[in-house]
Amino acid sequence: MPDRRETLAWLLRALALSAAPVVHVDSASARQGCAAAPAKPDQIGAAWRGDRGYGRDPDLLHPQVTWALTLTAQQKTAIARLADVFLPEEGSSPSASAVAVPEFIDEWVSAPYPQQQQDRVVLLEGMAALECAGNAPLHTLNASQAQILVAGLHARAAEGKEPEARFFARFRHICLIGYYTTPVGVAELGYVGYQPSARFAGPPPEVLAKLGL
Amino acid sequence: MATEPFDVIIVGSGAAGGTAAYVLTSLGARVCLLEAGRYYEPGRETPMFQRHGEAPLADAGTPDKPFGFYDGTVDGGWILPEEPYTTAPGTEFRWFRARMLGGRTNHWGRVALRYANHDFKAYSLDGLGADWPFTYEEFAPWYDRAERMVGVFGTNEHLPDIPDSPPGCLQPPPVPRSYERLVIAGGRRLGRPVVASHEAVITQPLNGRSACFYASPCLRGCAIRANFQSPTVMLPPARASGRLTTITHAQVYEVDLAPDGSARGVHYVDRLTHQHHYLAGRAVMLGASAMESVRILFNSRSARFPGGIGAESGLLGRGILSTPGSNVWGRFPQMEGLPPFNDDGVVSLPHIYIPWWLLPEQRAGRLPFARGYHIELYGGRTEPSAYTFDQFNVVSPLSYGKRLKEEARRYYGSFVRFSQRGEMVMRDSNRVVIDPQMKDAWGIPGLCFDVRWSGQELRQTAHAQRSMAEFIEAAGGQLVSPLPSDPAQAITAPGRMIHEVGGARAGADPRKSVTDSYGRVWGVPNLYVIDGAAFPSSANKNPTLTIIAFAWRASEHLRKYLRNELHHA
Repeated sequence: MPDRRETLAWLLRALALSAAPVVHVDSASARQGCAAAPAKPDQIGAAWRGDRGYGRDPDLLHPQVTWALTLTAQQKTAIARLADVFLPEEGSSPSASAVAVPEFIDEWVSAPYPQQQQDRVVLLEGMAALECAGNAPLHTLNASQAQILVAGLHARAAEGKEPEARFFARFRHICLIGYYTTPVGVAELGYVGYQPSARFAGPPPEVLAKLGL
Repeated sequence: MATEPFDVIIVGSGAAGGTAAYVLTSLGARVCLLEAGRYYEPGRETPMFQRHGEAPLADAGTPDKPFGFYDGTVDGGWILPEEPYTTAPGTEFRWFRARMLGGRTNHWGRVALRYANHDFKAYSLDGLGADWPFTYEEFAPWYDRAERMVGVFGTNEHLPDIPDSPPGCLQPPPVPRSYERLVIAGGRRLGRPVVASHEAVITQPLNGRSACFYASPCLRGCAIRANFQSPTVMLPPARASGRLTTITHAQVYEVDLAPDGSARGVHYVDRLTHQHHYLAGRAVMLGASAMESVRILFNSRSARFPGGIGAESGLLGRGILSTPGSNVWGRFPQMEGLPPFNDDGVVSLPHIYIPWWLLPEQRAGRLPFARGYHIELYGGRTEPSAYTFDQFNVVSPLSYGKRLKEEARRYYGSFVRFSQRGEMVMRDSNRVVIDPQMKDAWGIPGLCFDVRWSGQELRQTAHAQRSMAEFIEAAGGQLVSPLPSDPAQAITAPGRMIHEVGGARAGADPRKSVTDSYGRVWGVPNLYVIDGAAFPSSANKNPTLTIIAFAWRASEHLRKYLRNELHHA
């Protein structure tokens, strides 16, 4: 369980260092939520029992997500705010939310499988901790507030503090998967394969030269 | 289509059963092939051009599809709730199954290396395990047949651990990828061989099959039939012969013996209807997968064989073998930030590998372990997937924002996984037995595994870990993570490499083996074990090519037996 005062302290330090507006505080709901159940996310099911997934023989030519998406609109907005700090818009490169990373995360944490269920706990727990730290619902953050919050999160993660470190690692990882498996992300990484051809030519001369071969 | 009574009942349609169905129908036998899973048509069902991002969870593995949504395995996996198995206290065994026409040939890694004579005769050389009942020279003609039918790319390198193939067996390999060339250069610096891998993929047309077009991962299966799968290579000609009947959803659980002790049929349960059936035949071949074939033998109890068919020697279920495996990841700074280029090749399969290079030292007793390993390589600029960032996360766990995007682009494609694939020493203490308490969804008693690595495998793994680190360094790379100090932390669980074999080993002496050299169970002249169950040892080479060759040889033998039987009748 995170020490709430400690968590608050880094956030306040982070806020004090910035010229950002003070985070709006919905005192009643935020405080009540933190005091009553500080970081207890809902769970879809503790263990995978072989049901509710896409099964062992899904139609591979027509991929379908077979489980219900479970995040609320506010949770998805909150995730979008954070994801756009991890993977921001940059020139022609779109932000995470512009390539539907929040929707991918919803698909991920709603899946009935053990890894995804574990990630669901980590993500919702981490978001609850962040919410408590900021004393404000995450979905109400603007971009610069989200930036400050993630800076504080990063500092805590760098020190190995939990649950921030766990949240930082898993949230970042799922964002990376969601982003770089889209056509935009694939192109940004420079993957240019999947081209049927009569022969495999091997790496081009300029690549071999760079490799010293 | 053939009808009862069949000449031969074949249980299982994978590497062993598919081969037997092909060979026996081509030799004129009327065959009934029983498959526990459903019918499967790779030409129609394979997702050749679906991209990772289009699949649920970006194609990440799940308990439903452990190797990803698009993986070729149907109705399979590590955990099948309807088909439980147990493990002895303190042990672990991972058992991968595929309930589909063609079984695990639809998914396998396609590494197709011949065993050498020292693999068949390892016991004679170091006194451990057991010999095969034939030499390489005696067995080689069936490797030739297998390679010509399967379609294998590779080269003859005149190296001690990998026999050369006669002309016309191997197809030209694809040229190496970028990171593979770094490793070849590293091998040259170390004075160790790095050569073309042997893979069951065709680079030139073969028997009406199209050559590889270098797109779409092989583990999904291949709609154009460029890789080897039993349903695309073995079963079409068997079907075209008009002498093959295939029954799917048929879970065989018992071989039925006539009063004279010969096999005369099998009992099976229809997995969909739970109805029990009996099928008669003049001979029975078990190719249900090594552990399933052993399970069927155990469950075939009679007054003549109270412990199951083949249990008289006390060796049924003993000598289970797996492949010791471990990984070391390298990061190659010179591969960072390369301009975009297509490095797919034969997607997801290595073009090169590092064969075992220390045979002379091992024979001279200068190594602390008796059997060798080879090294496979995976990585580079593969299609971005749910696993692309695993090593990046280790190297740079804390970046975010613009820096994260810069690093994602820079590090993409610069990681390479080195994978040990070793030989396990056969020991009778490694065994499966029937667990009488545990039955599958159809009421058939299941297996309990008791398989453990010994110091042999752990010392081999420690050596392999160091060797892989040396290769990474020699190729200009760095370790992503330090090597674990204890090889037990590096070695994968028994079964995890999906190469489990043994349990009904072939031999020359009925007191020391379960089958004869053709896989024929001692005392039952028309019952053959044709899959990996018959292996007395498992080289550092994946078993499929040897299973195919063994099943081929057994099938030719059975055809002769049937002719003689007819002649004498």
